[in-house]
Amino acid sequence: MKAARATAGALSLRVVAVAFLGVMVALPLAAVVGSVLTGPGGVGAALHALASRTARAALWLTVWTAVVVALVNAVMGTLTAWVLARYKFFGKAILNAVIDLPFAIPTLVTGLMLVVLYGPQQVIGQVLAAHGLRLLFAPAGIILSLLFVTFPFVVRAVEPVLMDIDVDQEEAATTLGSSPFRTFVQVVLPALRPAVLTATLLTFTRALGEFGSVVVVAGNIPRRTLTAPVYVFGAIESGEPAAASAMSLLLVAVSAGLILAVDRYTRARARAIGVRV
Amino acid sequence: MKPGRAVLGGAVVGYVGILLIAPIGAIAWSALSSGPAAFFRALAGSGGGFALLLSIGLAALAVVVNTVFGVVVAWVLTRDDFRGRALVNAAVDMPFAISPVIVGFALILLFGPQGWFGGLVRALHAKIVFAVPGMALATIFVSLPFVIREVGLVLAESGHDQEEAAYTLGASPFGAFWRVTLPNIRWGLLYGVLLTTARCLGEFGAVLVVSGGLAQVTETGTLFVFRSLEDRRDLGAYAMALALAGMSILLIVGMEILKRRRAGANPRQGGALRIA
Amino acid sequence: MRGLARGLFASVVLFSAIAGGVGCRAAKAEDTGDTLIVGAYSAPREAFEEAVIPAFRAAWRRQTGRDIVVRASYLGSGAQARAITQGFEADVAVLALDSDLDKLVKASLVAPDWRARGGGSSGLMARSLVVIAVRAGNPRGIADWADLGRPGIEVLTPNPRTSGGAMWNLLAVYGAASGDLKAKSAAVARVVDNVIVMDKAARESLVSFERGIGDAAITYEQEVHVARRAGRRYDYVVPPVTAVIDVPMATVDRYADAHGRRAAAEAFVAFLRSPEGQALLRDFGFRPATGPLDLPGDGRFLAAGHPFTAADFGGWKKIAPELFAPVTGAITRVLEATREDHEASR
Repeated sequence: MKAARATAGALSLRVVAVAFLGVMVALPLAAVVGSVLTGPGGVGAALHALASRTARAALWLTVWTAVVVALVNAVMGTLTAWVLARYKFFGKAILNAVIDLPFAIPTLVTGLMLVVLYGPQQVIGQVLAAHGLRLLFAPAGIILSLLFVTFPFVVRAVEPVLMDIDVDQEEAATTLGSSPFRTFVQVVLPALRPAVLTATLLTFTRALGEFGSVVVVAGNIPRRTLTAPVYVFGAIESGEPAAASAMSLLLVAVSAGLILAVDRYTRARARAIGVRV
Repeated sequence: MKPGRAVLGGAVVGYVGILLIAPIGAIAWSALSSGPAAFFRALAGSGGGFALLLSIGLAALAVVVNTVFGVVVAWVLTRDDFRGRALVNAAVDMPFAISPVIVGFALILLFGPQGWFGGLVRALHAKIVFAVPGMALATIFVSLPFVIREVGLVLAESGHDQEEAAYTLGASPFGAFWRVTLPNIRWGLLYGVLLTTARCLGEFGAVLVVSGGLAQVTETGTLFVFRSLEDRRDLGAYAMALALAGMSILLIVGMEILKRRRAGANPRQGGALRIA
Repeated sequence: MRGLARGLFASVVLFSAIAGGVGCRAAKAEDTGDTLIVGAYSAPREAFEEAVIPAFRAAWRRQTGRDIVVRASYLGSGAQARAITQGFEADVAVLALDSDLDKLVKASLVAPDWRARGGGSSGLMARSLVVIAVRAGNPRGIADWADLGRPGIEVLTPNPRTSGGAMWNLLAVYGAASGDLKAKSAAVARVVDNVIVMDKAARESLVSFERGIGDAAITYEQEVHVARRAGRRYDYVVPPVTAVIDVPMATVDRYADAHGRRAAAEAFVAFLRSPEGQALLRDFGFRPATGPLDLPGDGRFLAAGHPFTAADFGGWKKIAPELFAPVTGAITRVLEATREDHEASR
């Protein structure tokens, strides 16, 4: 009796879960896919839109800035996690709290902050302009805003791993005469690799889709400072559904693919160490 | 060793300072430099009060929906085993993969007049896109994964033993959930709720596409910031920006405190996302 | 556990109350007795909010004895047209160019004879001129479109895909240039190469300029007037040959009838065309919808010179596909080519 009730309960929970995700996630995804397949002009029009120079330039800009940001984050994020995990200093709690700030701040506000800080009406902006450096309305501004919004990913992924690592191995290496740097590279880094890898991929995915900060900071000039999400926005606003659908589907496919890969990798590793996942 | 440490520590602090603290400081200064009275006037004027309330209201709705269903999904993912579980697991991460403008676009594809459900919406005289319901759906979507992931983590770690024990002692499934599971997951749950709220308050891209931009009707805090810049009410924009960021920062502080408590209860730290 | 349960329950109740309250408030705003929804482009914002709408409400009260709430949305003209066709139920549309309004006709939202119903103004609310905003004192010495193409000059103009204003801007550059299509396109290319920011709407573009970005902004004369009212001090230049901007408006028949607001919608449109409405619009920099463009008695307006109209180029029906069609339009091609492409083809 209890077994039957439990199973019925479990089944209904399953149904609720699947229905919820089906409506909230699968349906919108299907709509995007469907709009490419059944839109006016079909797949042909979609491919044609993607082949335009503006679309290709937007994709390229989005991808390379995301790669730069992912790599910088991989390095700076790991270093920051190292400092957080291994060092003690005054103000560490503040540093710890500050790191999560990008999760708290609306992306639009991020863009606005950068314009306020580096705009031509501020000292910094004028100094940069005097040296011929353009931060805003240039790829540098895009990279800066992306660095802001993606900062916590790598840090928060690496930090727990660092705290769990057995410090004995590092001490042993030091006793045997290894320099701190060598110890780091040969003892610590391999242990961090999975965390850094997955977090870097997630950073890349997040950077691909960023809109709110980029639209304020980038300048949005086709083929120069127009990113893929802003391109989609322009296509929606100007009534070019084929272009919007095509670029949307491409972005979704790439990001979804990466997230799925990260998912499988994580679960495989978790299974390897025995955590049920 | 010491000077090396200092250099490294200094580099990190410097990086964080320039990247994160300087911009936030700039906005705070811009918003508050005219004094608190001007700040509140700018925040509340021109529909700002409504915009703030709408943001909070949408966040509240998303929290309720994503918590109720999120716990169910987390339970199903960790306690159940069935074909297609991996697919369900992947679906939960999708909102992280989709740019906000695409979310808005998908909603128009579904509920716009030429959309999949366009006829149905018209027949019901309902208003989804360019109205609050559409914005609600967008907000629920983008904040969907947080509760599921955080609760899922806790459920995975804590194991099924306690609930099994409760069953053998005669507890009903719901009773076991209420008395055993819920206390176990409460910190993870609250953490997920805080992340959800912060994400909802900050949503911009999706609501920009789906909202009609009507002040006092379909304008959220972020849209208010956007409009204020165009209205040449810079102080209003900065004030609302600071208000939104400030609310979320308070949530962050709450998160930090929760993390400490969780570190006490569960020897695991950090991680806003389930990574490695 | 008791405490947690109570806390959770209280939170859920509180959250739901907030959500419900906000939702009801939002819904109520739509259902109030006399309401009117206006979908406008970005420029008339102040004119409407500060002067026209309050005056219209007073007139409506005098006429009908009832109060009316007018809510307006201000977006880039293309974006607003898109929103209205995709479900934003405006009763009146005021857009930046008539091809955007024709998008509403194509979607069967506005009757095709909207121009004729204007009582002699061919569907216009007002007119303006495409001008160049420059820093106070005109330090870069900009006098004409060609100056915007000089090396080192940084120009602002919105993106024509979303902003009707941007289309007028680029039409002005194109139309003022001499020579055939190739020469005109080259003239546009020289200016476009100097553009550093493309905002979504005309208003955003000018606000960026006011933040100190760029040396010059191609904008409406009307927008500069509004900026002056807001205390901004900069100059503007009317190039010898520029475009007359026609600002069309129409009742959105389908929605106005569905809402039962046709009377209010048509009254609003009529009010904008009335002498009172036109005077109010003039205070915010708009030139009159009919009659002579020059206003010699009004010291606030510069001489208009001899500008051309869209009709001189065949109307937007011809201009939009020829110049701005995606991929094939002449100006679209200029926008999608890079500086290197432009220089190579010179």
